[in-house]
Amino acid sequence: MEFAATVIILTCTYALLAAGIVILYKAGRVVNFAHGELAIVGGYVFYSSGLMINDSLWVAILGAIAFSVIMGIFIYMVMMRRLVGEPFYVAILVTVGIAIVLKSAIIVIWRAERVTIDVGVAPAIRLAGGATLSYMDIAGVLLTFAFFTGLYLFFRYTRLGVQFRGTAENPLLASQRGVNVNFVLSLAWIIATLAASLSGVLFGGRAFLSTESVTIGLAGLTAALVGGLDSLRGAVAGALIVAFAQYLTVRLIDPILSEAVPFMILLLVMIVRPWGLFGTMEELDRV
Amino acid sequence: MARAGYNLRTNYLESNEVLRRPYQRLLVALILLAAVVLPMGSSNFFLHLMNLCFLAGIGALGLTILTGFCGQISLGHAAFLAVGAFTTVILTVHVGAPFLLVVPAAAIAGAMLGFLVGLPSLRFRGVYLAISTLAMHYAIIFLATSYQAKFAASASAGITIADPVIGPFVLRGDFAWYYFLLAFLAAVTIMCVNLSRTRPGRAWMAIRDRDIAAEALGINLARYKLLAFMTSSTLASISGSLLAYYSNVVTVEKYTLDLAIIYVAMIIVGGMGSVLGCLLGAIFITLLPYGIDNLFAYVPRNWRFGSTIFGVQVGAVGVCIILFLLFEPKGLAEIWHRIETYFDRWPFRYRPLDGIRR
Amino acid sequence: MSVGNLLEVRQLEVVYHRVATAIQGVSLEVPAGSIVALVGTNGAGKTTTLRAISGFLPSEDAEITDGEIRFQERRINGQLPHQLARSGIIVIPERDKVFGTLGVGENLEFAAREGGPITLDMVLRYFPRLEERRAQLAGYLSGGEKQMLAIGMALLCRPTLLLIDELSLGLAPIVIKDLMDKLQRINKELGLTILLVEQNANAALAVADYGYVMEGGRVVFYGKAQELRSHRDVQEFYLGGAGQNDAKSYRDIKQYRRKRRWWG
Repeated sequence: MEFAATVIILTCTYALLAAGIVILYKAGRVVNFAHGELAIVGGYVFYSSGLMINDSLWVAILGAIAFSVIMGIFIYMVMMRRLVGEPFYVAILVTVGIAIVLKSAIIVIWRAERVTIDVGVAPAIRLAGGATLSYMDIAGVLLTFAFFTGLYLFFRYTRLGVQFRGTAENPLLASQRGVNVNFVLSLAWIIATLAASLSGVLFGGRAFLSTESVTIGLAGLTAALVGGLDSLRGAVAGALIVAFAQYLTVRLIDPILSEAVPFMILLLVMIVRPWGLFGTMEELDRV
Repeated sequence: MARAGYNLRTNYLESNEVLRRPYQRLLVALILLAAVVLPMGSSNFFLHLMNLCFLAGIGALGLTILTGFCGQISLGHAAFLAVGAFTTVILTVHVGAPFLLVVPAAAIAGAMLGFLVGLPSLRFRGVYLAISTLAMHYAIIFLATSYQAKFAASASAGITIADPVIGPFVLRGDFAWYYFLLAFLAAVTIMCVNLSRTRPGRAWMAIRDRDIAAEALGINLARYKLLAFMTSSTLASISGSLLAYYSNVVTVEKYTLDLAIIYVAMIIVGGMGSVLGCLLGAIFITLLPYGIDNLFAYVPRNWRFGSTIFGVQVGAVGVCIILFLLFEPKGLAEIWHRIETYFDRWPFRYRPLDGIRR
Repeated sequence: MSVGNLLEVRQLEVVYHRVATAIQGVSLEVPAGSIVALVGTNGAGKTTTLRAISGFLPSEDAEITDGEIRFQERRINGQLPHQLARSGIIVIPERDKVFGTLGVGENLEFAAREGGPITLDMVLRYFPRLEERRAQLAGYLSGGEKQMLAIGMALLCRPTLLLIDELSLGLAPIVIKDLMDKLQRINKELGLTILLVEQNANAALAVADYGYVMEGGRVVFYGKAQELRSHRDVQEFYLGGAGQNDAKSYRDIKQYRRKRRWWG
């Protein structure tokens, strides 16, 4: 049960990260290398804003949401928007730069202290086999589920979702048909950052937040690539595979390899099916 | 004979010239002269900084060939540096090989690994290639970590090696290293400049710009992509080996993904695709943390935590990457070219056209 | 400014990359409710003119350096594309005119703005083929069907002025004729003003009310479509010399020797 609990929560963490990466890729053909850092900083913001005002959960949640919205809009409007028309690697390198800046923020603002998020709602549930699930874990899993369902419904059935997908394919045409492309892309960044923050909070509750935990971003990226960079379904599938493999490796083989495992899986998948399990083949040439 | 201006080349011979104008030749001569004379009155610390810059320059030139000329994105540069360092360690500690044998051996090891890491480039481009190089990075670092765990004196102290001996000379001290590295860097720079203006360079740039068209022109993609990877990894490996000798100690913790990104930052800040940019970027990024240290002297005392300075040093690289990519994508080299053409064209104005590459 | 002109372009000059002048001194008038054709060879500057009108120059690193564009008596130089789209100037571009990864129905729904005089049913009546293919991905439609979808999408955007770039490119003659006829019907029945940019001068002048001929970045001839069709020079250079009875072989059409007489 311990195994199942850990893997499920790890899957949720990675799935949220992968979903954010997929959304950003679908919306702007940008592969975001800063996602892990966004997640961890989101987690830190959650932690700090909760601390600031009487350990209040609501303030923490508000803080994290505010951070996501502000950060998402900032990244898009100030940086990514100016990169229209540049070759693809420029956007990627800018996200790498953002990652570095966020990491330094952790060092400067939070002194890179290890922080565990404890929502403090006692007691945790004990399950058979020695596993413990705190209420936060349960809430996290439920929220993840709600997030993905909401996202699916949004993209499939709402008008804004259709406009989103159209903007992702051809921003020029979308603009000609009256869609405010800046609004749509800012929204994409906000949703992605929100997902990242949620994942950071989850991870911080189960493990810890520090400058080392930013590596979950790379695991999320590989999960997205394994599943297919343009598929939300793939994000979940990839996350499950990566979480599973990582847990098994750490438990059975060698903990040092935990960072490398996602990449090994990715290499395997890329040899066989480079566009990912659920991705579309044509996408391979776009990036 | 009337020239069209320094950056407008009107025939094939002209396009292969390196230093076309007298003032450029004079400038390079002056810089070399200054470089040779400089140590005669500089502190050891300054020489140490210069040595770090030179070492970074050698490694960065490798990355320029791979990413700047050939357009293959690679995040595995730290791994190649590690290969050089660890080959050096293995050969000096276990076999006792001399310097003049170890460095070439490190180069060969680097080349072989470059071949391996370059293989995915035949199938993938762009992000997928970057990720596969990242995967190789982790694989190599894992091997290095295992080696260090087994053979190091203590777990995190790393492995020490003696100073290199070249014939009757022992290469010790910043002064001696300065001249050695200066000569080495100059040689590698000339090699890279020559590579860029002959067939491999042209093939790489064709691949970078439109690889399908390059293939249609008869350029063997596999051959040149692998050549780029191998040249890059060889240079990085040599740089890693020299750094190992220079600092007399090797630890695997140094070779992180962040280090690879720092090298990428060097070529971005300096200007991708030009040797001048590469060197400028290497110097800039190497000296940046020290510059920030100095800046902090002006900051009020109670802000000066160790972690804050470190954090700002880390963040500064990121900020530089972002600022340069947003506002000056062609880097420091472009700023230099703009200054040059301002004086060249004066009193006319010269406005650069977007999308024109030199 | 004459009353009844929906769009007026006066002495427009567009420069690419700050150095290359694409069009110069271009003036046109598009009366409300008419179809105006803009014809010319490749590189004459027709698409540039369209881009200037619809606000898409900045993304090509081009700018309007002189002249003005007036739409409904308001100056619209340099407005943003989606602002212009909201005020009723709808462009159907030459390439990438539909969203290939969305379904046909989704494409139509994408552009639709509520409250317009044109409804989805009306569009489907004009183009029954779209109803048949409603559930398909737009990327899998044929060229002609894509063009129909593009026109349908544009109609649903509450257009006041429809700009169409190279409608006929890559389409079979019978499909072109069908589309042009539909455009004429739409113009008559809905009173929609249309500016057609075309290389296929025959097809365009067949349905247009007025025509402008562009060459080398300037307007070199204009008038009622009927006049253009019967003008000797236009016939020879753009209509394939169809009207000349005495031209028996290419040797007689000595284009390279004859100067074009555009001043009459």
